[in-house]
Amino acid sequence: MPNQPLIIENLTFKYRTRPELALENISLKVNPGELLLIAGSSGCGKTTLARCINGLIPRSYRGERSGQVLLHGREVADMQISEIAQVVGTLLQDPERQIVASNVFNEIAFGPENLGLPRAEIINRVDQAISRLNLEYLRERETFNLSGGEKQKVALAGVLTMNPSILMLDEPLASLDPASAHEALEVFRSLADEGKTVILVEHRVEDAIDARPDRLLYMEDGKIKYLGPIRDLPPEIDHTKVKLPAPWVVQRVKALDKVPAATPKPEAGERGEPLVVFENVDFRYDEEYPLVLQNVNLKIYPGDLIAVLGPNGAGKSTLVKHAIGLLKPTRGRVLVEGEDTRKMSVAQIARTLGYVFQSPTHMLYAPTVREELEFGPKNLEFDPASIPQYVNESLLTVNLKGLDEYPPLGLSFGQQKRTTIAAVLAMRSKILIMDEPTAGQDFANYTRFMKALCDTSDNAQSILTANFAATIFITHDLDLAVTYANRVLLFGDKHIIADGKPQDVLKDDQLLRKYRVRPTSLLRLNLDLLPRTGRFLPAESLAAFA
Amino acid sequence: MLVTWKYRPRNTFIQRLDPRTRLIFMLCIIFAFTIPEIWDYRIILPLFALSLTLYLMARIEWKDVRRAWIYIFILVFFIVGLNGLLSGRGGPSSVTNLPSPVVFEVPIKIPFTEIGWDVPVTVSKIWFALNQMTRMITMAILAIPIPYTMDPNIYGTAFKRMGASDKVSFTMDLAFRFLPTFARDFTITMDAQRARGYEMEKLKGGIPTRIRKLAPLIIPVVMQSTVTGEEVIDAMDLRAFGTRQRTWVKDNLKYAPRDYLILGIGVAAFVSCCVLKWVFGIGEYFVPDFFMSLFV
Repeated sequence: MPNQPLIIENLTFKYRTRPELALENISLKVNPGELLLIAGSSGCGKTTLARCINGLIPRSYRGERSGQVLLHGREVADMQISEIAQVVGTLLQDPERQIVASNVFNEIAFGPENLGLPRAEIINRVDQAISRLNLEYLRERETFNLSGGEKQKVALAGVLTMNPSILMLDEPLASLDPASAHEALEVFRSLADEGKTVILVEHRVEDAIDARPDRLLYMEDGKIKYLGPIRDLPPEIDHTKVKLPAPWVVQRVKALDKVPAATPKPEAGERGEPLVVFENVDFRYDEEYPLVLQNVNLKIYPGDLIAVLGPNGAGKSTLVKHAIGLLKPTRGRVLVEGEDTRKMSVAQIARTLGYVFQSPTHMLYAPTVREELEFGPKNLEFDPASIPQYVNESLLTVNLKGLDEYPPLGLSFGQQKRTTIAAVLAMRSKILIMDEPTAGQDFANYTRFMKALCDTSDNAQSILTANFAATIFITHDLDLAVTYANRVLLFGDKHIIADGKPQDVLKDDQLLRKYRVRPTSLLRLNLDLLPRTGRFLPAESLAAFA
Repeated sequence: MLVTWKYRPRNTFIQRLDPRTRLIFMLCIIFAFTIPEIWDYRIILPLFALSLTLYLMARIEWKDVRRAWIYIFILVFFIVGLNGLLSGRGGPSSVTNLPSPVVFEVPIKIPFTEIGWDVPVTVSKIWFALNQMTRMITMAILAIPIPYTMDPNIYGTAFKRMGASDKVSFTMDLAFRFLPTFARDFTITMDAQRARGYEMEKLKGGIPTRIRKLAPLIIPVVMQSTVTGEEVIDAMDLRAFGTRQRTWVKDNLKYAPRDYLILGIGVAAFVSCCVLKWVFGIGEYFVPDFFMSLFV
């Protein structure tokens, strides 16, 4: 077998259903033991490139392909899928899409079983993968009960048992809490050090740096814009399109001499009557199950911009589902504008609270984006004359203007996600709740809509200022909390561990690590500069103080 | 991602049975009713009692299976029962033609027209409906405990060891898990739409309008199912499923004496029904005198 694991020569691809080229003239050689980071914003072609390498193009995704993709000297298009699967192990963005078996052992053994290997060999491979990733405690667990981080590790173990020489990791950090993401990156690095070729597709360059990539491939519009060592990243790579470490952003902003003005966030605190009150709330899904929430007390006030942080599976979504009335407390009560949620329907509460679910496919149904956005306001019996204005403003906020007559189910995942956010924005609820709003979004897009939703400066034309009394977002992205929140809830061990201003909650490094929140470069820079800034600021604004 | 049923290990006779035994026994009872076409209550009731005994031995909590039973009861009583009661169809054609006293008549009218007629409900049709419902419930009693008491990790293995191909076995494994996944997606979609002010209980308009207004529920659930299906296919392709003869690591299924006992009972039930019907002519549909005397 030739030693060069992957050679791509003049690869061009166009999907059958789309007019534009998805990849254009890509050439690349990847070495054994190399960790290559592929970055770029949504639609830049990085996922298409991954599909060309793992053989899903041309097998599952049809289109016009030219050029060559050689795995150890053999053209991918000429190989059987079983042959490719033994060379390229693919870890998908969402582990839920990858796991097919109902039990961890079966899942990890699934690939070697399909290869028809002897039973002893399969068990040996499974044991090795389990030991390699420290998964002994999960061995006989049901897969659907695992946390996001555990699912990702199990999916990776399932890939490793195929013993591939190339690992293709497609945004593997998207559903992981920061500590799990860091652990995963350490595993990727060690696999590269052991001689595997690791291709990591990730738009959050800052996070991926923890894996110490040997080279960065930066793509825009289906073309390679940069390929080289990550430290030599040329300045033309736009820090607003991919997430770079905060000190790099500061350097770039200074070099460009375009330091934006720092905009103040409203102070969190008791201003008038609370909109939502949790009083001694306990909750369990069933009598035989343990508590998910225990003695939760919380008040949400007008002006709050709350980031909810905490580990995978801690109960953050369960907490906010109580506010919207989808779940009722086992003990205690939740009041929305003074009324007990047990006495209100979800539709009644929806006038006060708008809730954006994690997965867009569970929500979208209408033939056009515009009709999708009209659905909520019509259900709430808004004045028909005002609905078009609400819809247009919402489309503008999430950067979907021009797509109003498209079918939402035909849009990309990122666009679908923004459609669901816009659909809730159009309802003009008093409180906006978003569950992982940035999942599946590229950096540029989520920065844009988070800025529109949360930036409260006079010039920002903020949706919050205009409509929402409070915004709550559940996130694993600590920088969202640093940049946009004026109040942080750290949730873990079934209750609220810390609640306060970002600079108060996030300064406790030990507490953050205990609850699997890893400090980022932006947090560290903000903490360093706090005596001069007086508050947390986005990386660009820190350039004025650094 | 596919989820599994609410399986919980219990130390019961039923759970100690080999999964193949339970599947084969269930097939024996279904075939005993359907292949020789048994409509005689003297055969149906003992088989019902046998199935009920096994069901009770599974010691499943009511709250676990309540939803499944509600669905089955609705299906059996309102669809199978009413259909049998009004039309006498779904069984031996002789039922509708059998001379039998009319107990009452149900007036049926085509909406927005003057066209209508009275459907006679006879003693024969009532007895037929009762028979049909008992047969269906007997089969359901055997089927419902399976997902709650059979380890989901050996669904595929069980079918493989019954002689099915790799593809069929794994398809059955996935199919078993499809229904709870569908139910989960439906619940999430329902929650998502309720959070947008959608209230199913307040749908207004005629039947076509109401069906149209169910689109916010139906379309996302169907789409999610389709997406899940495609994802499973991609995930299986990426790990070489179906490219060669597969090894099933967990195939340590072994029949014990209790399995042979249950299999023996199942096969005996099937053979007995065939012999009774085809050799002795017992098992045909008839209305027993005690039932007729209740109305005449």
